[in-house]
Amino acid sequence: MTEPLRIAFDVDCPPEHAFRVWTAKASSWWPADHTVSGEKDLEVVVEGRVGGRIFERTAAGSTHEWGEVTAWDPPRRLGYLWYLRRDRADATEVEITFLDQDGATRVEIEHRGWERLGARGPDWREANTAGWQGLLPHFVAACATEGDPDE
Amino acid sequence: MSAAAPSPASDRFDALGDPFDALGDPHRRFIVELLRSGGRSVRQIADELPISRPAVSRHLRLLKDAGLVVEEARGTQRIYRLHNEGVAAVQAYLLQVWGDAAARMRLFAENTEPSKDAQ
Repeated sequence: MTEPLRIAFDVDCPPEHAFRVWTAKASSWWPADHTVSGEKDLEVVVEGRVGGRIFERTAAGSTHEWGEVTAWDPPRRLGYLWYLRRDRADATEVEITFLDQDGATRVEIEHRGWERLGARGPDWREANTAGWQGLLPHFVAACATEGDPDE
Repeated sequence: MSAAAPSPASDRFDALGDPFDALGDPHRRFIVELLRSGGRSVRQIADELPISRPAVSRHLRLLKDAGLVVEEARGTQRIYRLHNEGVAAVQAYLLQVWGDAAARMRLFAENTEPSKDAQ
């Protein structure tokens, strides 16, 4: 089995806000690089329920599916199947935990299921390590600036 | 990132961009690692990365500007491969800096009494 990818870091806002930034406010920080179309003015939609879809919608209205929500437990836990730029058959699993730490949040991410991809698993895991490194600074910055934490 | 002029501090590099800036991004490092095994088309590279095609093209352009990869036509395809001279320049820089540091360390170690606790 290929080891899950595990990443943990702190953000300077309560879990409620961090969870909302990751889901309802994804469009405000998700970088265009990390999409299918790469277009600037697109919408990132996370449907807030188990079975909900995660997808991008471009300004012209075309959509590209990225994943499917498998765990919806705001503001503590979010899980989804992830197949951005992949066939759904090659989906991996992402689980994100938001832990309250006196008003700040410890975010723990586990990205697993690489063995489903067989021999391609380790390389895809490596590529996704780079992916998370590129993605997460945008999320951390958005947690600090996106709206009122007490809204 | 500006690639308009060669950096004055790195006149050993002929490329427009700074290779260390180019390597300061995880996706670009991954592309460099990918090309270890030989040249690939943009499509083949993009298929291995979880980012958009335009983003991959931008990363490749940056690597090319920094002299780390070269682009060549093969039939109708553009193939990217590692540029040996660009990679050698990075290697030479690191070897020189760390070589000097290692020589100083050796000099220091040879002129210092070993501590009784040390093995």
